[in-house]
Amino acid sequence: MTRLTEIVMMNILQELKEIVGDRVSASPGEMCCYAGDASQVVGLPDFVVRPESTGQVSRILRLCSEHLIPAVARGAGTGLAGGCSPVRGGIVLDMSGMNRILEIDIENQQAIVEPGVIAEKLNSALKPYGFFFPPDPGSLAMCTIGGMISYNSSGMRSVKYGTVRNYVLDLEVVLADGRVIHTGKKVLKSSAGYDLTRLFVGSEGTLGIITRAGLKIAPMPRTRKLVLACFDEAENAGRTVIRIFSSGITPSACEILDRTTLQVLKLCDPMPAIPEDGDVILFEVDGTESSTSEAVRQISEICQPTAKSVRIADGPEMDGIWAARRLVGAAISRLDPMKTRIYMGEDVGVPIKEIPALIKKVQQIAAKLDIPAMKYGHIGDGNLHVALFIDVMNKEQWEKLLLAADKIHRAAMELGGTVSSEHGIGLARAEYLPEQVGTEAFSVMQSIKKALDPKGILNPGKMGL
Amino acid sequence: MNLDLRAINQCVRCGSCRTFCPVFEESGWESANTRGRIMILKALTCGLQPDSQVLDSLNTCTTCGICTENCPAGVNPPEMIESARRQLVSLGKMTRQQADLSRNILASGNTFAESSDRLSWLTDRSLLTKKADYVYFVGCMNSYRYTETAANTFALLHRFGATILPKELCCGSPLLRTGFDARRFVDENCRQIAETGARTVITGCAGCYTTLKKSYPQDFRVQSVPEFLALHISQLDIAQLDLTVTYHDPCHLGRHNQIYEQPRRVIEAICRLKEMKTSGKAARCCGGGGGVRAGYKDLSLQMARKRLEDVPDGVDYIVASCPLCIRNLRDAGAGEKVIDLVDLVAMAVR
Repeated sequence: MTRLTEIVMMNILQELKEIVGDRVSASPGEMCCYAGDASQVVGLPDFVVRPESTGQVSRILRLCSEHLIPAVARGAGTGLAGGCSPVRGGIVLDMSGMNRILEIDIENQQAIVEPGVIAEKLNSALKPYGFFFPPDPGSLAMCTIGGMISYNSSGMRSVKYGTVRNYVLDLEVVLADGRVIHTGKKVLKSSAGYDLTRLFVGSEGTLGIITRAGLKIAPMPRTRKLVLACFDEAENAGRTVIRIFSSGITPSACEILDRTTLQVLKLCDPMPAIPEDGDVILFEVDGTESSTSEAVRQISEICQPTAKSVRIADGPEMDGIWAARRLVGAAISRLDPMKTRIYMGEDVGVPIKEIPALIKKVQQIAAKLDIPAMKYGHIGDGNLHVALFIDVMNKEQWEKLLLAADKIHRAAMELGGTVSSEHGIGLARAEYLPEQVGTEAFSVMQSIKKALDPKGILNPGKMGL
Repeated sequence: MNLDLRAINQCVRCGSCRTFCPVFEESGWESANTRGRIMILKALTCGLQPDSQVLDSLNTCTTCGICTENCPAGVNPPEMIESARRQLVSLGKMTRQQADLSRNILASGNTFAESSDRLSWLTDRSLLTKKADYVYFVGCMNSYRYTETAANTFALLHRFGATILPKELCCGSPLLRTGFDARRFVDENCRQIAETGARTVITGCAGCYTTLKKSYPQDFRVQSVPEFLALHISQLDIAQLDLTVTYHDPCHLGRHNQIYEQPRRVIEAICRLKEMKTSGKAARCCGGGGGVRAGYKDLSLQMARKRLEDVPDGVDYIVASCPLCIRNLRDAGAGEKVIDLVDLVAMAVR
């Protein structure tokens, strides 16, 4: 596919106007705003459209198919892998305007939503019923359900509740040629044919564009409690986490905040109450009053021999700690205004028992390259977020960053892990996918892509496809 | 363009601001939220031409500061936006509305291009003294549109020895917010303030307040009317009113200057206060600031209508302490239910 000529551009613009009215733009300034997400992957689209219905999306994809125009779906643009970056131009479909909660069906424990619904807004709507949508990425307040599904995102509570994949029952998807399919039914389980729902979850807009989702929802736990255990070394903390899980306890969240992360949190306003100095593990348990009290007691007991300190938090203090934790990834420049956090090598995951080894490797990589690294993340499911931060106007630091990110990705794969636990592949990690999944498995992915998108118009270049 | 790349690079494009930006909520386009505007600023440093869409993106920011309040990376977008507006104006890049606004203010000395007497509301000019401890800086809005509020304010402040500048000019806020130079107004107002010998200038307009405080030489103390009243309420003979009111935090008093508690203290000395759905640091903008009301009236009123949805049930009045907010909320449908804090105090003074 080549960039569009001016005459074709004008014709396409006219056709897009006929489909979406004034919800289309080709202005250079607007195109800059849709160049990418929070990653370093950028590309200028030729047009941005903000569809309002499945019918419009279908007509747009038919147009793209006919003229071989790349079509890139986008939610809130909060991704970290360049998944929505239109690296080959074409049309960006901003799906955030399709943001209706169509149905909340408590009897069937389901919610039917459009893809542009913000995750937190769904939870606000479910709260009066005593239910929630468990996957909770740090970007919960701004990311869309469509984006979450496309990247199989998860978050702090995935250690107990799993990832988005566990909660999608049915998808309405517009295929590359404009056909509209449903991948499931309004049932909690189904054993009918290939699991197309799971195929589309995590497919990053390379196989179709999601226009509606049937989601499983869960009852909210009656209570939550938090154990804060502080350690001298992150590796020690990692070993304690393994002991907790081996003893049969499954926390609802299990997060590591290294000492650099705590320094950043202390600079946030309002400052949350984590006075500890060291590497902290946050163990959250949920359930009934008695079950959480017992779990808290057991976790505290296991932590005591190796931890510097152990204490329990709940209520507003716990809420404040979680709120700060959600934002800490972007807050690093509070530590040094000359430096910016760059999302690269930020989402590796390994089998839980390899967490201490991963932490050690990351520390060695950062020390050897003399590049500061903040480590935090979902240690309970083996997912470590490494925040590398540099002076972006310093070329040498950029080079070090790229090298560090590459080494971190390779370290995770050497430990039997993944280059992305929840942020996706996009273009930022595309080079690693064949190596991680193996060439044969990757060729199967290529075949699937070819079958569903023979012209290669859907988010071309992403995932190495 | 020579924009502050350090500040631009501080934004990690996490998109937190999407959740809060009141303009984006109405528009839905990325260029209408803070992250998009910062991406445009970056593109301007790389050769993007400032066409009308770019100007609209930058000029529709109300500079309300709710993005600053919630930015995890500690970015201060209103500062960046105002700086960009200044540079664009210096390059001759501005909208027709911007050009009209600046021409009118520079020619007339006020926001409304009024040629009439700025003190027409003052019935007894003998109350003006040449020397005083306090100057009441009236502002364009109250001088020409809410003259009763101006009269009520002066009636209260005069008891404490305040005077008014004989030839007050616009504080310069609309010029500064939209990218123009206001030095002539700053210098002239400063000269007159110095002549009175006053050490404190009090204003009932949030826009004037932030301008006097941040863009004027620090030769005198600046107080907002809510701050002054909170300090002196016990010296006024106040009757308790059987009213329930809510309070709208003007962005330029609240987020820009952290004046949250004082107006509430004054209200609670008079009647019952019932908070809005969003208040204090989280208060939704009325949509009127940053030159948006002047340049994009429809958008501005849409935001004001959204703000009115935050008003709790069962209140008699919506109280604010900024005539710009008052006008926008009134025009958005709340009418006379929106009053100035001073007007509430005036009702209660025996």
